[in-house]
Amino acid sequence: MLIDINVNLPGPSSPKRRPLPPQIVQFGTEELVLIELQGALEVDGNKDGQLVGKLRVDPNTKKPTIMIGHHLLEGKLVNLAKPLAVLHKHGSPPGTDDTAMEVEVEDGSPRPAAHAKSWDIVAVVKKKMVFAKRPLPVVGHSTGKGSSAVPLSRIGSKAG
Amino acid sequence: MGAITECELRFSPSSSTDTGAFKLLELPADICKLIESSDTANPPRFTIIGATDEDAVLCTADKTYTVRSVVLSNSVLVVTSNPIEENVEGDDEPIQEVFIRDQLKEVIELVPSVPRLHKLDSLLRGREYDEGHEYEYMETNSDDDVSEKRQKFTYEDARSTIQASDAELDKGLRDRRILILDGELRPIARSHLTTILELILTNLVSLSLPHTAAPIATLVSALEHEHDIRSAVSRQVFSWFGRVDENRGTWDMDVDAVIREVGLGILRAYRNDPAHDKAFLAQWRKAVGDTFEDKVALPLLSGNYLTSIDSLSEPPKTLLTYFPSSELPVEPGARFAELFLARPRWKIEEIAPFLADISVDAKERDKLLLKHARTVTDPEGIWYAARAKYNG
Repeated sequence: MLIDINVNLPGPSSPKRRPLPPQIVQFGTEELVLIELQGALEVDGNKDGQLVGKLRVDPNTKKPTIMIGHHLLEGKLVNLAKPLAVLHKHGSPPGTDDTAMEVEVEDGSPRPAAHAKSWDIVAVVKKKMVFAKRPLPVVGHSTGKGSSAVPLSRIGSKAG
Repeated sequence: MGAITECELRFSPSSSTDTGAFKLLELPADICKLIESSDTANPPRFTIIGATDEDAVLCTADKTYTVRSVVLSNSVLVVTSNPIEENVEGDDEPIQEVFIRDQLKEVIELVPSVPRLHKLDSLLRGREYDEGHEYEYMETNSDDDVSEKRQKFTYEDARSTIQASDAELDKGLRDRRILILDGELRPIARSHLTTILELILTNLVSLSLPHTAAPIATLVSALEHEHDIRSAVSRQVFSWFGRVDENRGTWDMDVDAVIREVGLGILRAYRNDPAHDKAFLAQWRKAVGDTFEDKVALPLLSGNYLTSIDSLSEPPKTLLTYFPSSELPVEPGARFAELFLARPRWKIEEIAPFLADISVDAKERDKLLLKHARTVTDPEGIWYAARAKYNG
């Protein structure tokens, strides 16, 4: 079994993807940032495009916070001891996988079949945004214009 | 209005395709450098190789790493801008939404590893290329069993099953003296290889060719016409034992390598009955001929023999026994057990050649020694011996 890993970092020749807002870029790369949470985000039902919370970076202290419902998470910038490559499954958009498989079968040679998957290195990150503290409940504080929305997510308790 | 300080954190608009589509890979410094220094036109490629019953490895062009998955107690969100929205040229509108593409609970770690070439030996068993048998092998046989056994094992098969980088695989094939004949891998019978090398040495002398720039065509045709050595075989032998200059069509013989292989050919006979070192060296010198006899030296064969003293003879003689590290177990514990069975205690310089192929460097070798052996110091210096075994 072979899995190819290709380097597909944003460069001058690659199609330009939409960059992240500048205040978030400083926690990762132009296009991708890693956010580490204690515990996990749990959600029931279809979560496509749903709001998790408000991510805010204080322009002066550079401290990130996430407001999820009535919980405030305080985070910080952490430099990684070893850089991390973010791998993205190649041809993830639906449809492309199937056609690729058919071509391989028609080919008849046994080798491409072993090449079922490949991954792209889409970013190399050297820092991350870490929210290691317990969420602070916020009472009687307006979360701004989106406060009328019922929070969709809750912070799951840490497993184990 | 200044920079936007707040944005909405949302789940991916296509979470079903995004979930599980991301992974984190911890990069050792050398791989990171490789990625960052690469030009976009010719980026490096990596391959993960592993059968379902093997621990996977990641290979660069010339190195192998063991792949380990480490579970995180925290979760890591991969956050990007909207994956669906196209980037509109000249769109200055600030982004107010970012999207969680995936939520990860593990990181893949890479640990440098020796290439796992040992599988080649079992995969290629029975496919040896030997003198006189080559044509039999080519004949078609109606017997179904035999034809099944004869399914070719090709270079491409090896690339997809052997857990080694391309450079390490090529070196492994050379080191194991495996021929590639019509794309198929065929280990050359060692006795046949010794014969070919001895023929090359005698032909160099009889045709008075310089061994630093021997015309390949002359040698190939001499071997083919007078000794029935196929040119496809002899040409690969030349590339194993020296540098081939394609432009000038000459061969710069690696004298030590050739002498070593000829010595191994002789040594192999002394697996059970040891040889007296003086007699062995004399036989070896004779085999390589006058021109090269000065180059004959026992250290060329390190990792392939054990010495012992025949104290009964007067004066005491040194005895050599064929003991190739290539035939020892790959698993460190089993290898040390065999080594200490062969000999209860070793000096570091004696045991080191038998550990070279299972450790990436001296540091890892010393770690193995620390784990599987104990040291004993006496007036002669430091010895490595088996760890005490307590029964019961």
